[in-house]
Amino acid sequence: MSADEFDPAIERLFARAPRMADDALFVAEFRTRLEKRSRWRGVALTGAGLIGGLIAVREGINLNFTGGEAEVTTLGQGAQAVAVTAQGAVQSGLGGLGLDSLGLGSIDLMSGSGMAAFWIVAGALVALLAAGAVRLSQDI
Amino acid sequence: MNRTSLHDLHDVELAAQAAAGGRREYGELVRRHGSAVRGLLRRMGASPSLADDVAQDAFLQGFQRCAEFRGQGTFAGWVKKIAARLYLKRVAREARYVAEIEAEEAATPVDQAGALDLDEALKALNETERVCVSLCHGAGMSHPEIAAAMNLPLGTVKSHVKRGLDKLRARLQPAASGGRSAHVG
Repeated sequence: MSADEFDPAIERLFARAPRMADDALFVAEFRTRLEKRSRWRGVALTGAGLIGGLIAVREGINLNFTGGEAEVTTLGQGAQAVAVTAQGAVQSGLGGLGLDSLGLGSIDLMSGSGMAAFWIVAGALVALLAAGAVRLSQDI
Repeated sequence: MNRTSLHDLHDVELAAQAAAGGRREYGELVRRHGSAVRGLLRRMGASPSLADDVAQDAFLQGFQRCAEFRGQGTFAGWVKKIAARLYLKRVAREARYVAEIEAEEAATPVDQAGALDLDEALKALNETERVCVSLCHGAGMSHPEIAAAMNLPLGTVKSHVKRGLDKLRARLQPAASGGRSAHVG
């Protein structure tokens, strides 16, 4: 047999998979490992999602407070400037007080919407967690 | 999907479904090709327990990378390459391979009756030759791929493959020329 004939013959011999008595056991072990890994992956992803969601909510609330304060300051300064121009020195003081109360009102409003958003997101996260738990229990 | 229909599906279809998360479909692929991958690793010189361990890891890695398999070549060949590389990484950690060609000759005598099978014939090769020949003809890897995977010069790999094939030819040819096909267990 020449080398040219021998190479394909060797490949054919290699291609014939040897029969092994414990094939079924090997497949069963693999399936168990795959299931276990998938389960852990699901738990890890759910956990990571929850942590990420909580961080996002926290950051979102912080951002709202910061943004709200900046907005109020800008609004107050603008309104104060308009008041000074239009009404004079005395009235501007009163206007300033009025604007202060408006400013406080705005902060309250922003806080209110921030809390509402927090509860909405918290509810969504709880629902997500419940869905993850149900799915995990189904997998198990 | 029931078990019968899984049996009817082609490897490429099963792999596509496995890529979408189908664990049962991938289990069918493991059932079909598990022994081929384990057999290759044993022929490369792995002990049965190590071969099984590496084969399991290779199939797990295959499941994660299943989307990369697009039907070029066979699924078995694709997983065999993954398994072979994993095995080489393991043995590299143990620093079992040397670049030099060992002057080791066959320990077992040639069986003129032609009763030798491939697994027996592979025992005539030294460890590096056996791995190179198995990677080349069992896993379908090219010489440059083997050189990269084993961290050996290309010329050395070619030498190992040639020497290995020469030894295999010397042991298997009597069987072929004698009109008997080599039995693979």
